[in-house]
Amino acid sequence: MRSFSLIFKQFSRSVLLIAGFAFLVSSAYAQGDATKGEALFKANCTTCHKIDIRLVGPALGPTISSETDDKWLTKWIENNQALIAAHDKKATDIYNQYNQSNMTVFAQLSDGDVANIIAYVRADWKTEQAAKPTTPVGPAVETGPSSLVIWALLGVIILAFIIILVLNKVVTTLERLLLKNKDILITEEEIELVTVDRFATVKRLAKNKKFVFFVLLCGTLALGSWTWVTMWTTNVHQGYQPVQPIKFPHDLHAGAMQINCQYCHSGAYKSKNASIPSLNVCMNCHKTVKTESPEIHKIYDALGYDPTTQKYDADKARPIQWIRIHNLPDLVYFNHSQHVVAGKQKCQTCHGPVETMKEVYQYSPLTMKWCIQCHKRTKVDFKDNAYYTQMQAVHDLIKEGKPVTVAQMGGIECGKCHY
Amino acid sequence: MDSNKKYWKGLEELNKTPEFVEKNKHEFAEPIPIEDVLTGGGLAGTTPRRDFLKALGFGVGAVTLAACQKVPVHKSIPYLIKPEEVTPGVANYYVSTYEGSAILVKTREGRPIKIEGNPNDILAKGGLSGQAQASVLDLYDSNRLKNPMRDGSDYGWGQTDGFIKSELAAIKAGGKKIRIVSSTITSPSTLAVIADFITAFPNSKHISYDAVSYTGIIQANQNSFNKAVLPHYNFDKADVIVSFGADFLGTWISPTEFIRQYVQNRNNKSLQAKKMSRHIQFETGMSITGSNADVRILIKPSEEGIALVNLYNALSGTTLPGSKKLANNPNADKAIAIVAKELTAAKGKALVVAGSNDVATQVLVNAINSLLGSYGTTIDLDNPSHQYSGNDAELVEFTKEMSRGEVDAVFFLNANPVYDYYNSKDITEGLKKVRLKVSFADHMDETASACNIVAPNSYYLESWGDDNAIEGYYTIIQPAINPVYDTRQAEHSLMIWGNNPGKDYYTYIRNNWDKNLLAKGGLSGQKGWETLLQTGFVKATPVTSGTYTFGHDLNAVAQTILDHSNLLAADAGKVELQLYQTVAMRDGKRANNPWLQEMPDPVSKVTWDNFAAMSPSDMKKWGYADGDVIKIDANGYTISLPVLVQPGQTQGTISVAVGYGRTLSGPVGDNVGQNAYPFHSLRNGTFQTSAVATITATGNNSPLSQTQTHHSIEGRNSIIKEATFTEYLKNPSTGSGNESGHKDYNENNLFWQEYDHPQYNWVMAIDLNACTGCGACVVACSAENNVPVVGKAEVGRRREMHWIRIDRYYSFNDDGNGGVTRERELSKLEDLDNVRVVYQPMLCQHCDHAPCETVCPVLATVHSSEGLNHMAYNRCVGTRYCANNCPYKVRRFNWFNYWNDSRFENYLQNDHTLLVLNPDVVTRFRGVMEKCSMCIQRIQAGKLKAKIEKRAVKDGDIKVACQQTCPANAIVFGNANDPNSEVSKALKSERTYYVLEELNTQPGVGYQVKVRNISETEA
Repeated sequence: MRSFSLIFKQFSRSVLLIAGFAFLVSSAYAQGDATKGEALFKANCTTCHKIDIRLVGPALGPTISSETDDKWLTKWIENNQALIAAHDKKATDIYNQYNQSNMTVFAQLSDGDVANIIAYVRADWKTEQAAKPTTPVGPAVETGPSSLVIWALLGVIILAFIIILVLNKVVTTLERLLLKNKDILITEEEIELVTVDRFATVKRLAKNKKFVFFVLLCGTLALGSWTWVTMWTTNVHQGYQPVQPIKFPHDLHAGAMQINCQYCHSGAYKSKNASIPSLNVCMNCHKTVKTESPEIHKIYDALGYDPTTQKYDADKARPIQWIRIHNLPDLVYFNHSQHVVAGKQKCQTCHGPVETMKEVYQYSPLTMKWCIQCHKRTKVDFKDNAYYTQMQAVHDLIKEGKPVTVAQMGGIECGKCHY
Repeated sequence: MDSNKKYWKGLEELNKTPEFVEKNKHEFAEPIPIEDVLTGGGLAGTTPRRDFLKALGFGVGAVTLAACQKVPVHKSIPYLIKPEEVTPGVANYYVSTYEGSAILVKTREGRPIKIEGNPNDILAKGGLSGQAQASVLDLYDSNRLKNPMRDGSDYGWGQTDGFIKSELAAIKAGGKKIRIVSSTITSPSTLAVIADFITAFPNSKHISYDAVSYTGIIQANQNSFNKAVLPHYNFDKADVIVSFGADFLGTWISPTEFIRQYVQNRNNKSLQAKKMSRHIQFETGMSITGSNADVRILIKPSEEGIALVNLYNALSGTTLPGSKKLANNPNADKAIAIVAKELTAAKGKALVVAGSNDVATQVLVNAINSLLGSYGTTIDLDNPSHQYSGNDAELVEFTKEMSRGEVDAVFFLNANPVYDYYNSKDITEGLKKVRLKVSFADHMDETASACNIVAPNSYYLESWGDDNAIEGYYTIIQPAINPVYDTRQAEHSLMIWGNNPGKDYYTYIRNNWDKNLLAKGGLSGQKGWETLLQTGFVKATPVTSGTYTFGHDLNAVAQTILDHSNLLAADAGKVELQLYQTVAMRDGKRANNPWLQEMPDPVSKVTWDNFAAMSPSDMKKWGYADGDVIKIDANGYTISLPVLVQPGQTQGTISVAVGYGRTLSGPVGDNVGQNAYPFHSLRNGTFQTSAVATITATGNNSPLSQTQTHHSIEGRNSIIKEATFTEYLKNPSTGSGNESGHKDYNENNLFWQEYDHPQYNWVMAIDLNACTGCGACVVACSAENNVPVVGKAEVGRRREMHWIRIDRYYSFNDDGNGGVTRERELSKLEDLDNVRVVYQPMLCQHCDHAPCETVCPVLATVHSSEGLNHMAYNRCVGTRYCANNCPYKVRRFNWFNYWNDSRFENYLQNDHTLLVLNPDVVTRFRGVMEKCSMCIQRIQAGKLKAKIEKRAVKDGDIKVACQQTCPANAIVFGNANDPNSEVSKALKSERTYYVLEELNTQPGVGYQVKVRNISETEA
């Protein structure tokens, strides 16, 4: 075994040596390894660059492909500051073009690393260019049903017309036949007799007072309970799931991505409103994430934001009109921070498993009964909160080892929510 | 011992007029028109069954249709890019300034919704007047100009600038005069901008005048001490205050500040230190100051000067020429002798003020104050007030210049002389000869409509600015909202038109503060500016107030005063007319504000009108009844006003308020009352506020909407309790009914449920001796709790919605014989002059044994574990049983949907003014009862804040709206479970009593007995 490992060691060493040599040679000719370059690119560049479009910095695909002076490129990537400081014309031009924002200095990258990155970018841009003619430029535009579907539908309608006409013809012919044949009329009389018999059963049943009473009772009960349920649930919109102007998937953001609810609904901590996030919160991520999605482009449109120039045009901005799902009536005062911070409730207690919802629906009934039930059951967490230190009565209960509910703290009194 | 002193709210109650007795038998003044409905053919009609079926069918159909829509779609529109400092649902506060006082502007989601006092303000220390509270509503006034106008049609800012610049260039070349007419400007930066403008156009001049003028005082100080300033008065340093018609608690110079100073020597704290100032008021009409005075002496306007001469004689021991006894007013003569003695005894701690705008009178007052050593103690001439600096003579000269055709351009800044100049014809005629007339008014007001350009100024809540109310106190104004309409700050306009090199007015202010003002408060640079925007003001160390001695000859002065008095004395068949400002309307600039129009006048309790106040005996003499319209003719001007019987009005005089009768203020203020400014006259270079008038009956009657008689006190004597200071010193509990220990009315409680207050017990203490009745709390409450405005007709039907009201009670001076009976009082009716007044803020008492709770059939009003009486509007079905059963009559019924009933010009209905609503309080629907909630939204917010910050609720954390605005700090609110809270301490005071305590309602609001500093000889 030992000899085998020795051989292996030697072999691997020689392979490494050759590989290293080859690498040196290739780097001397600035021939980078695209696969290595990809890893480096993703680790170092994606914060500010994309291959195809401008982000903070220029779109790298076209820029690097068109740049022939690899030495200069390497210098720029490794230490752009030095170039700018040396008043290199090309460098200062770029610097000024991109709002004089400094590019990070990548002193840790070797010339080889840079070459790999360049190779990757050029290769990727090439394949992208090659694939371009078949993929539509820009976000997919909804063009409605295709013309094929419309023609098929027209065909179906015409076919249906023809069938109706044919069937009509058949019916009239059959009727004419019937008039000619009198035997069939006799059979019709027989059928009439049978129906008379049926009415008789009904009449017989109608004379049965017990049966009538039973039927009426059932009817009243059914109608009554239907009315009862309807009245109880009038204006209770549990399950309400309106279609929102943007298909925002909570399951992706709160579920798969594990983004904290309060990252977007920051008001829940400090205000009565949990607040729908303003669009600048969306842009924190979506300036770079999923920029091609048509849904994200709705955000851009609302903001008057142009992803190619990265400029906002306030004149084109128009706010997004979300549809409110949880509608408490005006006569009730509800405060999110009271429940989330002071009461330490999870969002899910009232809003349900939002992290699994593709589209959010109203999970709770939001009735007063539902509020009160929770206030009666929820124990107040008085630990480490000096607010409760003065409350003698609460202390007494705690001393007796009894839990204190919100209701006992006055949480179901009218004026606590209605004013 | 209960007092048997009789109190009454109005003469109707005192006289028990049959009409009043009849009205008070019923819960509502006007019967509900059930009869009309029943007899109107409804039931007797021929087809009631068919109608019934129709109605039923329609009802079912409508309900079905309404139920078809499953979920009402509500849109939720977030910010595109949220400003960092805004969190929806959380209020932001910005420091700013209102009339020289530092304030806080509360904004929600970027819109100002409430003005609150800045607790560090050195003038009012957090108190605010009703006018300041109401000023937030004017921001959303939809009648404000929305863009510049030229000759009545819209004009862009660019065009306006081009036009004015070219005109100004031509005028400059022509060499004729340019005039900037304004009311007093206290902003140092605005004054600097104007000075720059004058430098650019050297033939221009700034003319400043005030509708209600203080030129007399300024001129007198110039004559006496060579200092043309309005002094800063220190009422807190005065032990004896004598006022001759100066309404310093209501309208005179700086009333909010003066209330704070005045009350410092009269409130609970001062009484416990066995100290109370003495206040004697000589006046004609019953003012809020006079009604608070310990002794009130009635004098006619013509007697005022002579009374002062007599006082000077008594103090100095000399005899000025022309001094004579007040033949028709022996009371005043007697009083002057006593006053002189008291003032001499209090030398160095005495203060004499006079409201007159006559220079000679004010010179005499200066001489008196100099004798008393007031300069350097109660009067400060070295740190003067800049609040009013107008010069009457300059405005008069300006009208002459115009009529001579010497003026080519005039700019009106915050000035409306066409309305408030006594001879407005001079202005309108003169303006016709002026080439360029520009108004900065934000409404198309009386003067603006006579101008060819109106360049609307931004409202103060939309503006940058600064203020300097008293020497060394500089405050900042910062915008709390972007301009609502296309308006521009007048200063900015002046900078553009004057080719000022400054970039904009904000930069201009910054530079001005950086250069001149920040250093006064020890601040500098960007950091200093940022500190200023947090604190709101800088305060320079005040100059030591020097003593001044009056050393001029008074003979000529006394002669002038005598001539003046002879001029004012009315012949038989005429009356002396006194002009005054009401606390709500002041000079009339805010006439279009419905909150102020509906705020009852503190004394007369009249809303939505001005009137001629007349003494009861004069009413009898002239044969008038309340509301009879009389024609008043004086100084060649005539108006017709309803007459109001006002106990305490001097016989032979009438008082009329200015500030009413606007014609172009907007739909709310137009044609409310009559304009009384033209009654002014010019004498010795100043505007005079009294005249001799002829009155004649017109035969019409126009009822006034008063709130005073809306409830009867049913002869109960446990509502108002009073004591004299001497009695108080002997036994602090005099008058409170606790003289021999507190009686427990709950001993034999059989049917009231007792409530525990395990956590909090929210209660309130109101010091009747501190409350001056100014009514700021009424407006503050309306703003905080979205209280609707109902209008004159509805107030007349007793349907005003105010949650807190100030009850005003009259009583006769007790003549010391005790045992005042109704008969004896009625015999005094001949002379209803000598009445005393007590003000009592009345709001829901949050009784522990609440009579309203027991009668509610639907449990809409219930008790809380925190001692509050909750009202759940959405549960209320409107039986009104609670209002009927409430002994304090504090519940208000929504007769209409004030927020969408087209019959009411309500501020709640307008898309703009709607923005002022407090989003934490609901608006109430027709058919439900409402009442004071003790600002439960603030209590809840305060508790939540403490909970989140993990600390106990501190005393003073939670302030209710009425308490917060009270300049007198008469209202204390807090937790009675905490023995160390301010409110617990206040309620432990011996003076504390509870209104109608004998009913065993166990109220949560305790009142402290009113104490008067009356020496026994006068009592």
